Amino acid sequence: DLSMNNISQLQPRTLRHLRFLEELRLSGNQISRIPREAFSGLYSLKILMLQNNQMSCIPAEALRDLPNLQSLRLDANLISVVPKRSFEGLLSLRHLWLDDNALTEIPVQALNHLPALQAMTLALNQIWHIPDYAFQNLSSLVVLHLHNNRIQSLGANGFDGLHSLETLDLNYNELLEFPGAIRTLGRLQELGFHNNNIKAIPENAFVGNPLLQTIHFYDNPIQFVGQSAFQYLPKLHTLSLNGATDIREFPDLKGTTSLEVLTLTRAGIHLLPRGMCQQLPSLRVLELSHNHIEDLPSFHRCQRLEELGLQNNRIHEIRADTFVQLMALRSIDLSWNHIHFIHPEAFVTLRSLTKLDLTDNRLVTLPLDGLGGLTHLKLQGNPALSEPFTKESFPKMRVLEVPYAYQCCAYGSCSSFFKMSNQWEMEGMSPEEEDPHKRTMELFPGHADNHYDLDTDDLQLDLEESKLHPTIQCTPSPGPFKPCDHLFE
Amino acid sequence: VHPNVSQGCQGGCATCSDYNGCLSCKPRLFFVLERIGMKQIGVCLSSCPSGYYGTRYPDINKCAKCKADCETCFTRNFCTKCKSGFYLHSGKCLEKCPDGLEANNHTMECTSVVH
Repeated sequence: DLSMNNISQLQPRTLRHLRFLEELRLSGNQISRIPREAFSGLYSLKILMLQNNQMSCIPAEALRDLPNLQSLRLDANLISVVPKRSFEGLLSLRHLWLDDNALTEIPVQALNHLPALQAMTLALNQIWHIPDYAFQNLSSLVVLHLHNNRIQSLGANGFDGLHSLETLDLNYNELLEFPGAIRTLGRLQELGFHNNNIKAIPENAFVGNPLLQTIHFYDNPIQFVGQSAFQYLPKLHTLSLNGATDIREFPDLKGTTSLEVLTLTRAGIHLLPRGMCQQLPSLRVLELSHNHIEDLPSFHRCQRLEELGLQNNRIHEIRADTFVQLMALRSIDLSWNHIHFIHPEAFVTLRSLTKLDLTDNRLVTLPLDGLGGLTHLKLQGNPALSEPFTKESFPKMRVLEVPYAYQCCAYGSCSSFFKMSNQWEMEGMSPEEEDPHKRTMELFPGHADNHYDLDTDDLQLDLEESKLHPTIQCTPSPGPFKPCDHLFE
Repeated sequence: VHPNVSQGCQGGCATCSDYNGCLSCKPRLFFVLERIGMKQIGVCLSSCPSGYYGTRYPDINKCAKCKADCETCFTRNFCTKCKSGFYLHSGKCLEKCPDGLEANNHTMECTSVVH
């Protein structure tokens, strides 16, 4: 290991006796040129590290006679040119690092002589285009990183020949069009093209990539997505689409049966297909906020559903069968809709439900059957919902937001005030994780501005009383101008 | 400059402190926290330590762990040398070679069957 020194020159044939040397580290030096016979005699060399030096071109002559070389690191140099015969003779080369250099194009001809290459990175260069057949002889390549370049265009046959490719990283480029050239990559499992300028994902976009497990394409100005774009991807686990405003219909996900997380927000979807859950039996998280959905189908076939986000839509009612039999459902967000009616049996079978958000709807009444396990309930913004609640309705409640202060009085004597803070997120702990000894009612001696001083007897009384109710943050909390008694009864 | 930041830094450090070693690296080097007893010392390297792989980004160069069965790797999902007891095949570490390939106990790789 000669790395991290100040070596600036290598002499020819100085290492020729090291016939059994397998790994040579020359990284982190000042080498700008390597003479022809610098590595001659190193017949057993497998790993050659030349990264973090000052080379502006490939030391082709010096690499000529390394028949067993498997790993070649040339990253973090100043290489702008790769002569076509640069890698001739490296028949065993498997791993090539050329990232963080000054390449402006794919070294197509030089790459034609690497039949054993399995992993290559050309990231952090200035490459702007991928021509047709750029990698045509790299039939063993499994990993190709091209992130952080300037790739704007891609030949329709740009990836032909990459029969073994499993990972393709095109993130942080300037692609204007969907990389259709991926259709020939039949073994692709991981694809990334986030942070580009792509506006549309066409129909049948991934028809040639049935093994895809992850696709990352966030931070693209995607407006349009073909109905069939994400069909027949049986290994895909996560699909996230945000802000594709041209999407009017819910995508047809036929054959994409392993999807667990589907995020499709800020689009124009107004209807959810009846057979949606049949297509997505493994769905755990469904996030459809900020769409135009008015009517909900029954989700009963989404048996593994745990989280459902439907906020900021136009939903007006919840029927008896909407959430029926969803035993795993823990959280429903229906805030900012137009819900005026919820069927009395809507929540009856939801035995795992702990969070329900109905903020800003048009509720007159709330059916309580099935809500006994709630720890978080938000009802503010429902002016017609004036019924008082009882302690027994929500025995596990921790964070409660209600339309009127008097509805908080059910959780303690009205003469004292309650802790007032919006701890919706902070109270993420599930009841089981909680330390039972901490479940005491916290009574502030008085709001900061009122300086209400309790004497010791009162304090003892309240401490006794606090053992009755767990720590419950109830807002808006009652006060002088928000009395506990309903003025108009 | 912060009082605890030394001027005369070693190796590839851009800034360092007597107690914590490198606090930041010169461009194009990988920042790694090495544990020495109870302390963690920052060091700047031209390649990540064994068991880690490096990823270069415009503003930072990071080291991340290889998978548990892998000794050295190109990325998390592509191993270049497996730990003992595993055979390497196309970037994966296998306890048994796939059909059609045979286990080479010298190189610890799966190789084509030679007839």
